[in-house]
Amino acid sequence: MARRFRPWQKKRGDRRTGSHLLGSVGEAFFFAALFVTGAVSLAQVILARVLQSQTGPVPSGWALWLVLLVLVSLIVIGAGGVIYAALHVGASAERRAALARKATDLQLLQPASPSSKDFPTVPRDTNLTNSPGITLAYRLPIARSPALELLGVALFGLLWNGVVCALAVVALNAHLAGQPDWSLTALLLVFSLVGMAAIGYFFRLLMVATGIGPTSVEISDHPLYPGGQYKVFLTQSGRLAMRSLELWLACDEEATYRQGTDMRNETRRVFLERIFQQTDFEIGPGRPFEHLCELEFPRGAMHSFQSGHNTVAWKLIVRGEAARWPPYERTFPVIVYPDPPTWTSA
Amino acid sequence: MMEPLISIQFVGNKSSYQAGELLECDYQIDAIDREELQAIEASVLWYTEGKGDEDMAVHYFERRVPADAEEEDLRRLRRLRTALPNSPRSYTGMILNIRWCVRVRVFLPRGRHAHLERPFQLGTPVGARLPPPVPPPAWLPASHQVRT
Repeated sequence: MARRFRPWQKKRGDRRTGSHLLGSVGEAFFFAALFVTGAVSLAQVILARVLQSQTGPVPSGWALWLVLLVLVSLIVIGAGGVIYAALHVGASAERRAALARKATDLQLLQPASPSSKDFPTVPRDTNLTNSPGITLAYRLPIARSPALELLGVALFGLLWNGVVCALAVVALNAHLAGQPDWSLTALLLVFSLVGMAAIGYFFRLLMVATGIGPTSVEISDHPLYPGGQYKVFLTQSGRLAMRSLELWLACDEEATYRQGTDMRNETRRVFLERIFQQTDFEIGPGRPFEHLCELEFPRGAMHSFQSGHNTVAWKLIVRGEAARWPPYERTFPVIVYPDPPTWTSA
Repeated sequence: MMEPLISIQFVGNKSSYQAGELLECDYQIDAIDREELQAIEASVLWYTEGKGDEDMAVHYFERRVPADAEEEDLRRLRRLRTALPNSPRSYTGMILNIRWCVRVRVFLPRGRHAHLERPFQLGTPVGARLPPPVPPPAWLPASHQVRT
């Protein structure tokens, strides 16, 4: 009895306890109610407008258009929801996934993308191999452009400190008027600290981006295969007294999950190997540091993997420490394919 | 009401396959009247387990209704054959596992259904637990420390 009429159910992501059929029926009823509400109300509004009803106020002008927009939205959302729920009733997760795969295969017929078809879930490496290197075959793109991060931090700093300034004016006026608002003043102090931290972080990023020259990583072949041997060419420009410069091969598992209404990400580093390290050396202007090293990719390693909520991501990480500069880290993603012996073509 | 008995048997009792290899398995339904079976679905699929929300994709799928079966009897032994893809390989990581399985789902009257799945391995066992060749550096955040 308790199982049949469980009042509360657990839900995590798309998984949930309880009857999927009942869930779909409830969903269909909800959307049907939206549709009926929208349709009846719309009919009422139109009738009232046409008949110039005296029974109540009839919206006109922009208000009429706003009401029509809301009611039509209700109808569209309701009808769409009912159709979606009806299509999903009785269809197993496997059947839906098979239909989705068919649709994907049809899309893949147009652009030639053998890697997507032959290696499902392995990300394509087009963006990683479209830039030729000077010394080796490919120049790897950097994972995250410092300009974007700078822009983001600058926007946040501007907005935050704008709010702080507005609050400061209000608080100052209250103090000058002899009616100080101490709770606002305390809040303002906390907000100011956050604003100053944002400014400090912005200048730190700016120093790293402009003071430390560009880092470049080239690789002899791409994609990579477990057990394969590759050459990696590392270049670091700038005018720096380097305490250390390191090149690492790393693999991260990344997971996205829903917790309540929040989307959360978790990353776990599962592999880390140092490929190269040099300490205490100078980099002069016009004389970039250059180093060619060997990379033996670990045998038996997992290939790159990407699905809706889960990822296995391989990357080369350059980490440097220079005198008078904060430590910096630059990441260059790579794609790893599965072991080659038994490949088949789709 | 009794649940139907679903059985899945890999040909040659294999539980591990290489990419591109032919997977063959037999499945059969028992302990149910012929008329009770409305449809049967057999799939070869992978799904993820772990911290992230579950992802799933079907590599092979067949759905049969009584009209598709000999003497309209879906309970009979049937063989499923499919060449396995190159990826994703089975994987046991730290916050992510990738599992392959054959899943048979039967549809019964009044919206009921039952299913059984048999896991198998695709590719050489791959795990995240490769030993770190050097001690993890101090600059690595705690959440990124390699664990063995």
